[in-house]
Amino acid sequence: MPTLVRDLKIAEDDWRLVDEGPAAPGLIAPLDAWRENPGGAGVWLRSDTEIDAVADEVLAAPVIAIEFPAFADGRGLSMGALLRSRHGYQGELRAFGEVVPDLTEYMHRCGFNAFVMASERDAEAAIASIGHMSDHYQASVREPVPPFRRFTA
Amino acid sequence: MGGFGNTTGFTNVPSKGRMYQYSNFDQRFIDERVEQFRSQTERYLAGELTDDQFQQLRLRNGLYIQRLAPMLRIAVPYGILSATQLKALARICRDYDKGYGHLSTRQNVQINWPELIDVPDILADLAKVQMHAIQTSGSCIRNITTDQFAGVADDELIDPRPWCEVMRQWSTFHPEFDWLPRKFKIAVNGAESDRAATHVHDIGIHIRPGPSGEQLFDFLVGGGLGRTPAIGARIRDGLPERHLLTYLEAILRVYNRYGRRDNKYKARIKILVRAMTPEGFREKVDAEWERIKDSPSTLPEAELDRIKACFEPHPYASLEDETDLLAAARLANPAFNNWLSNNVAPHKRPGYAIVTLSTKPTGVPPGDVTDIQMEAVADWSERFGFGEVRISHEQNFILPDVPQRDLETLFRLADEQGLAQSNVGLLTNVICCPGGDYCSLANAKSIPVAEAIQSRFDDYDYLHDLGPLDLNISGCMNACGHHHVGHIGILGVDKRGAEFYQVSLGGNQALDASLGKIVGPSFSRAEVPDVIEKILDVYLKSRFEGEEFLHCYRRIGIEPFREQVYADAG
Repeated sequence: MPTLVRDLKIAEDDWRLVDEGPAAPGLIAPLDAWRENPGGAGVWLRSDTEIDAVADEVLAAPVIAIEFPAFADGRGLSMGALLRSRHGYQGELRAFGEVVPDLTEYMHRCGFNAFVMASERDAEAAIASIGHMSDHYQASVREPVPPFRRFTA
Repeated sequence: MGGFGNTTGFTNVPSKGRMYQYSNFDQRFIDERVEQFRSQTERYLAGELTDDQFQQLRLRNGLYIQRLAPMLRIAVPYGILSATQLKALARICRDYDKGYGHLSTRQNVQINWPELIDVPDILADLAKVQMHAIQTSGSCIRNITTDQFAGVADDELIDPRPWCEVMRQWSTFHPEFDWLPRKFKIAVNGAESDRAATHVHDIGIHIRPGPSGEQLFDFLVGGGLGRTPAIGARIRDGLPERHLLTYLEAILRVYNRYGRRDNKYKARIKILVRAMTPEGFREKVDAEWERIKDSPSTLPEAELDRIKACFEPHPYASLEDETDLLAAARLANPAFNNWLSNNVAPHKRPGYAIVTLSTKPTGVPPGDVTDIQMEAVADWSERFGFGEVRISHEQNFILPDVPQRDLETLFRLADEQGLAQSNVGLLTNVICCPGGDYCSLANAKSIPVAEAIQSRFDDYDYLHDLGPLDLNISGCMNACGHHHVGHIGILGVDKRGAEFYQVSLGGNQALDASLGKIVGPSFSRAEVPDVIEKILDVYLKSRFEGEEFLHCYRRIGIEPFREQVYADAG
């Protein structure tokens, strides 16, 4: 059973992702369909979307879902990071597709706050993996200040 | 958005010293990581992760499942080890393996026979001596390599080690760049000679002093070996030091977003640079960099001071060069004389020398070292230095700080351990991947070819007369043995199920880097030593006095070699 993790908790999924339009409130639609009918709908983006080109448009969506088409495909990480840090997106940023527990930590650091996991067990493992490391070496969406600017000798 | 957990009490100040020592931040990071991998391994063994899912996770921890057994690749950041760390590696080879390890061309150490179930314990043992296996495999930024003589070479302009450490930290579990299209290798050089092969890396960085005391970086991008060899394109000159990380971020972001993921043979950054053209690639990187260049990842001076303080010079004694002593010893002992000429390099400080301990005697796979040898090298590093050891990408050990007056003693000890072959820079100092004996990717064996060549050419005077000659062997297109940049390169190919070897000439990894050119149709394994001999005959007949193999080849071209090699083929 697909299970949604939102803000580090298992949550009821109140959105439905659809492969084609028309877009409507409660649905997460592909970009073209969403453009025709954006009111109240979420939008999902393929991993090859030129994020800087579409960002201004999609910022209004209450949910942006980014597809991870294969387990080790990290393009969505750059998209998420840019949506949050460069374009200031404030709504729900959701990962779907091949989302496995050990990648969710990277996704979380790149600004994703919702993950569609394959099972409840995966959902629990994802939540656990996100909390596992106390800190990291780099700046990220979650911690925009790298450790070398946070710690003073 | 909230920050990470509790950071109070974490000063992130590594001990000042002469080699990088972990701060408590580093240590906590590594310890937590070991526990994370332990839980991943348990989940896999319990059937909760599929083979495919676990593969990606174990690759992030340097664990391959190979032809015969798992292979664990342990990171040696920029090739520098303390005596304590090398002794710990020796113990791990003894306790969890068959008593030997392998020095890799990425300056790392590999062990070939660990049990999967032991790997979390091995990682825990490594963590106790500030070591790990993070990102030694997988499609991520790999161990950053540099000059094996960094910090001590007499032709050094800038010590590259602090910069390697800055990049090691930046690249460790980068949130955005750990799931790239393909593996990613960075090499750094700060000397007049390029001992780090920067022209054949995904990113090659040259560091030089700028006019105002600030250090500057020149960037080469898209070099590499493998099945599409390429020399890196220069895309940025003179980047001021504070921008290092943001500029890397721009390059990696362009690659992560646009690098091909549909075909793993076309996924390296060199293919993207070629497809976009170097100018097009540079424009894209510059456009990205403009938007992030003064972000918080810009390096503050305090951070540079913090890292540089970890690489202070050792407490060198004020010694004199031992010119007379060494001259006398050379005359008295021809073997020592040869070793001094080939394996000992000049040091920044008077009275000291840099010694390369060759792991390549005939009959041993290049780069293989036993636990006993590791312990001996660790002991010598304490007795004849400051407890520091290097691994070179030519798969040898380096003792960086040997007093010249101790050289002859060290030579004798090294000879007893089989580590005093005087073949550094010569034909028999073969670079060689593990090949078909160990590696499931290989088309052909490489170690027996290295051994056959070393046996055929075992006359020192002949080798010395040949002069500087790099012979590199790879068992397949992945080019782990760097065959493209060998003056003579040998590549294992599969010909209707049989092992054959393609020979190339004219490759070179130095500042004037070039890629080898294929001589012609491939040969059987038995033919290879004869072919090499014919090539060397052409060189010996054609050279001017003092002309090295590479220069002679560049002057006369490939034809004379081709004619000779295929002359009797009928």
